[in-house]
Amino acid sequence: MAGKASATPATYSPSPATRKGKPTIYKDGDRDWVRPDGRGFQQCRPAFFRTGAVNAASGSAYAEIGNTQVIVSVFGPRESKKAMMYSDVGRLNCNVSCTTFSTPIRGQGSDHKEYSSMLHKALEGAIILESFPKTTVDVFALVLESGGSDLPVIISCASLALADAGIMMYDLVASVSMSSLGSDLVIDPISEEESYQDGSLIISCMPSRYEVTQLTITGEWSTNKINEAMQVCLDACGKLGKIMRSCLKEATSATSE
Amino acid sequence: MGLSNVVGDLSLEMEVDAFRRLFPLRFYERHLSESIRPDGRTLKSARDTSVALGAVASADGSALTKIGSTTMLAAAKMEVMTPSADAPDEGSIAVEYYMPSICSPLVRPGRPAEIAPVISKQLYDTILSSGMIDLKELSLISGKAAWMVYLDIYCLDADGALFDAALLSAVAAFSHLRFPVVSLNDEGRLVMVPEEGNGDKSGKEVVNKEKRKLSLSSPPFSLTCALHKNYILADPTSEEEAVMETFVTVVLNSSGHLVSLYKPGGPVLTQTSVIQDCIALTRQRMKEVQEILDESISGMEID
Repeated sequence: MAGKASATPATYSPSPATRKGKPTIYKDGDRDWVRPDGRGFQQCRPAFFRTGAVNAASGSAYAEIGNTQVIVSVFGPRESKKAMMYSDVGRLNCNVSCTTFSTPIRGQGSDHKEYSSMLHKALEGAIILESFPKTTVDVFALVLESGGSDLPVIISCASLALADAGIMMYDLVASVSMSSLGSDLVIDPISEEESYQDGSLIISCMPSRYEVTQLTITGEWSTNKINEAMQVCLDACGKLGKIMRSCLKEATSATSE
Repeated sequence: MGLSNVVGDLSLEMEVDAFRRLFPLRFYERHLSESIRPDGRTLKSARDTSVALGAVASADGSALTKIGSTTMLAAAKMEVMTPSADAPDEGSIAVEYYMPSICSPLVRPGRPAEIAPVISKQLYDTILSSGMIDLKELSLISGKAAWMVYLDIYCLDADGALFDAALLSAVAAFSHLRFPVVSLNDEGRLVMVPEEGNGDKSGKEVVNKEKRKLSLSSPPFSLTCALHKNYILADPTSEEEAVMETFVTVVLNSSGHLVSLYKPGGPVLTQTSVIQDCIALTRQRMKEVQEILDESISGMEID
């Protein structure tokens, strides 16, 4: 760009640097530590959903869970790109991107390229692809603010957007994540807790059918821990599913008035 | 001609939505001849506009603006830079406009919108040439440190009049901008001082205690008008923009002076009266928009 022909000067942010090294929010063996936002270990943040956020899209949803804000737009079913071969089932195309101001330091959070494919795998099992052969449904997500536990929020918001677009699905997909911090398990971690975690478990499930569409585990987990975490997360998914359903019901009753 | 007969017959039997999709030009011309638009507006009225300041909590200044369905989210973050040798007392501004894939069916991840870098450059040029911001206000330590303001504008929903909404959100974000309080630490870098009562515990000198916000002189406001044959439509939607022959964007500053005029191609304008009409419409629109902006600013200050 001509206006910026002079080299953009190197800049730094005056915000205090993030702590590194020994975590300060808890010490090993200290069973009395409290989460930074005061929640219980098995308490999720309050969730707010709204459909119809973007008029230009076939369907869209906005989700705000704690400080994590996500908008998802769904376009389609529309014509597949010419390079694609004929397919008698529909195709799903997902893409996740972040704004530059989603993280406290500008431009630092854009390296989650795997979110797009993880979103794809989480939703694939729930969509009835046979209902739109030869065409593609595009699901685009934009993370407005990254406050922790981003991928589960993106997945839940995306399934609401798909419902808003009228794409046929077996069930909504609700998603929740759990962090392992030393010997404790905390559900729905915020970014600070995620930065100190030893391992994480993200589960996406269809609450009414009690079927899991995606389970991702990182770090070291004993079998007992996995079972415990899964149980807690599935319960949380059930509750999240109810919230999502009531959001959809509100939206339809509002339009019918 | 055979074709227009066919169209004439079809239009009697077809549903409105189908006619709108198949023959958009005829659909609009039918409305324009009655001096009305499909959404019920007159040719000269703009859509409902709203401005919400402070939409992004982590940014130093932010604004969410909506003109009809077009939604823009602007966030300004401030970082410290070393000023250049030939302007040691001036900071700098970087304006970037993004159209993420969510905003429109025409934008895809591998194929960015063609209009995005055009609008980005237009915004940058308009903001700088309007003289709204005095770069000397961004200076911290002469010759050593100055503020660099990164303004990022994201289009969340694209429904016409993108430049107008983006410019309004940029002006709103700048009026909401509050400088972080910084002091010099031992390594010669500027760090933020946490907001405390009086005096900071470290005993360090606060560099910019008094200067907390930008003084904006004559902010620019714009209006895009679509031109089609003899009609001038203020604030077109994306459907109207696609159908109309060309459009003109007029930018005025608050003292009523012309900052910029942009007409990208299309049929030749043979009468200057059309331009005069567009400028008059912009002037009127500017009053409306200024009121809306002032209301939301005063709303924030009461808090």
